[in-house]
Amino acid sequence: MNNNKNVKEARLQPRGTAPTWWLVFLRELAELWMGGKAPILLLIYSILLGIITYVMASNSELSLIPPQEMVYELLKTAIAVGLFICLVISSDSISGERERSTLEGLLLTPTSRRQIIVGKFLAAMSPWPLALAITVPYMKVLSQGNEVFGQAVPWGAIVGSLLAPGFTGLGMLVSFWSNTNKSSFFVSLGIYVVFLIPTQLPGHAQSGAMGQLLQQSNPVAAAYHFLSKMLVNNRTLDEFKSWLIAPALFSGLILGLLFWSASSLRLEGGKASKLRSSLGRLLGLSMVAGIMVILSTSPARAQQQGVEETASTMQQQPLAITIDMEYKNVRAGEHILYNTLVTNKTAEASAPLCVAMNIINLNAAGDIVDPEDWSPQRTQYIESLAAGQSAHLSWRVNAILDGDYLVYMVVIPEPAGPDATSQPIASPGIHLTVEKYTKLNPGGVLPFAIGGPVVLIVGIVILYRLRRKKIDTGGA
Amino acid sequence: MTQSSNSKQPISGVEVLVAENLRKSYGAREALRGLSFSLKAGRILGFLGPNGAGKTTAIRILTTIMEPDSGHFEVDGLGSEHPEEIRRRIGVLPESLGFPKHMTGIECMTFFGQLYGRTAADAKANGLALLKEVGLEHRAKSLVGTYSRGMRQRLGIARAILNDPVVVFLDEPTLGLDPRGQQELLELVRWIAQERNAGVILCSHMLWEVESVCDDVIILSLGQVVASGTVTEVIGQAQSRPGKMAQGKGIRIQVPSESVEKALKVLQETPNVIEATPMDGKAGWLRVEVTESADEILEGPHLNNKILAALICDEVQILRFEGEVGRLQEVFLHLTEEVIS
Repeated sequence: MNNNKNVKEARLQPRGTAPTWWLVFLRELAELWMGGKAPILLLIYSILLGIITYVMASNSELSLIPPQEMVYELLKTAIAVGLFICLVISSDSISGERERSTLEGLLLTPTSRRQIIVGKFLAAMSPWPLALAITVPYMKVLSQGNEVFGQAVPWGAIVGSLLAPGFTGLGMLVSFWSNTNKSSFFVSLGIYVVFLIPTQLPGHAQSGAMGQLLQQSNPVAAAYHFLSKMLVNNRTLDEFKSWLIAPALFSGLILGLLFWSASSLRLEGGKASKLRSSLGRLLGLSMVAGIMVILSTSPARAQQQGVEETASTMQQQPLAITIDMEYKNVRAGEHILYNTLVTNKTAEASAPLCVAMNIINLNAAGDIVDPEDWSPQRTQYIESLAAGQSAHLSWRVNAILDGDYLVYMVVIPEPAGPDATSQPIASPGIHLTVEKYTKLNPGGVLPFAIGGPVVLIVGIVILYRLRRKKIDTGGA
Repeated sequence: MTQSSNSKQPISGVEVLVAENLRKSYGAREALRGLSFSLKAGRILGFLGPNGAGKTTAIRILTTIMEPDSGHFEVDGLGSEHPEEIRRRIGVLPESLGFPKHMTGIECMTFFGQLYGRTAADAKANGLALLKEVGLEHRAKSLVGTYSRGMRQRLGIARAILNDPVVVFLDEPTLGLDPRGQQELLELVRWIAQERNAGVILCSHMLWEVESVCDDVIILSLGQVVASGTVTEVIGQAQSRPGKMAQGKGIRIQVPSESVEKALKVLQETPNVIEATPMDGKAGWLRVEVTESADEILEGPHLNNKILAALICDEVQILRFEGEVGRLQEVFLHLTEEVIS
């Protein structure tokens, strides 16, 4: 009954027809955008960006964060949330069709599985460019005219676009082997969190050979590190291009695996074998153990060094420090300027001196103050003071939070050597009273924070109205 | 209902599907144990079996969704080693076919038509024609999410035949439909076979619909064929086996409850009646087993008339009369129970 003529005839591809991946891509796009999933995720994303931008702009008014860091932090958020959106959508792409019983219809057509996967993959990637585009105005307003904006847009696009295919492919791979949408989503989310954990580790856990390896091998952490160096530290591409290897390699590997396994796309997802689940558990335990080791070793070493340093003698220094202000009432968001006078009262030249500022909340139930948040000048240094010589130092303190505070200074002579210590000398305090005050539109960011989501809502409404014109909406 | 102009359908009577010794196991459980059968163009084959008999596995293998462990099949002369080409020649309405909710009926038809190699304009024109054939032209621009179950099933039928298939697989097409919907869908099934000359495989648990539309029947149980042939042949096969399956041809007659005893007496005295018994749980219904000699098969209607005439002569009121309908259910239960035991 075998008929070669029939086979040849069937193999002929009709001319003038669109390729399958393109048809699947268009259908998926329609489902994603007309179905509401992508617009809603992007709307939530724009609201989140608005809130973050508003908070950052408020902090910027207090001179807490320079524009480079704000733009970098916003870009980090944009990439993290953009990847999350791609992951959410891709984790539904196949298992969701299984649940909705639409996959069988697609598999019954004479199309190659690989083309179906390509179409779905491109559609799942589609929110990323839009997420980046939504971020651009927010970055613009936060950059406050700084040249970092011109660097952030292309680097954000490049680094994010290196990561997005990897995470989209990852979600699809999980979806590929999952029978239910719920399991696909939670497994994808779990993997995503595992990638994000190293970026949230404390600084000491990111240092050292192991910490460095962990950072450089993690595509997200490596991408963040690269962006930080390029945008905040003004470093060159040549110095840090090696940090782009992990994101590129990750995406390459995931896409290779996805398209290699695409031909085995089936109506039913995979069934977890005992070996596979054991390997999964082992991998999870190893990662948790690794993170715990990193977290535990570094602080222990630091603590040991501290104990050794305190085993030394104390030495008195006859220095005096005064302040030209006793008290001040300000509103939150304002700042105070004052001067200190450090005098060497002895007949000999002093050791090099460090003058440090401290701010104490006088309300026992109040927030603990981090002076670095309140002033860019936490410490200042004096090389040495000759006998009877004095030195003037100027200080600025930003009143961040309302409350009752005492600001005082400490002058610290440099210890004579590693086995010696010195006696800090404190100044009188400034009683600082900060009244509550909120600026409604810090840095002119409010129109962007509200306008972004509003523009998106208007766009969605227009899209739906255009769609409704094309369909007959008379019920069943 | 008309056939689309570009179809190249096989000649009636030509085998369009041949399955040989198909086997499939899920671990230790054998879902199919050597399934062999053939289907001719223009004929409707009822695929019957209790849950877990292997029907869905068989359909998935024959529609290339799944690969058999062993065995071979051909569709329109194409061997199972050409799955993509086979998919071009078959149409399928799976048991639970979902459609993208946010597409309209015509958008669905256009999309699937394009996947079968048509241009957008051609696929749309073909889709509209088929929606008209299945009675959905007035809802072509409505979202599929607003369709009733019956409308979705009809859309599924239209989708299944948009590539002018030589074999159409319909898995429980009438499930969940109201009686009118069932009737309309069965008419569509007949139309596919008769007008489009496609071979149709109809999976159903509703044996009356299989009896009413199918030319041939296969009964599967525990992954193997327990009976196959025309409905009459299958009933004959069941009767030839030992067991409590009633012999002869069956008819059913409903009389008023108070006339049951009188009717039984009349029937027992009527020539060619083997046995007449009241049916359990059905007030006034009698099952009448009659002889089925060669002469009587030729004169089937006359034999029925004689039986009815005997009742009427004795002034027994006849409320309803049914021919062989329902007989297949008895055969099905008998054969599948035999295999399970």
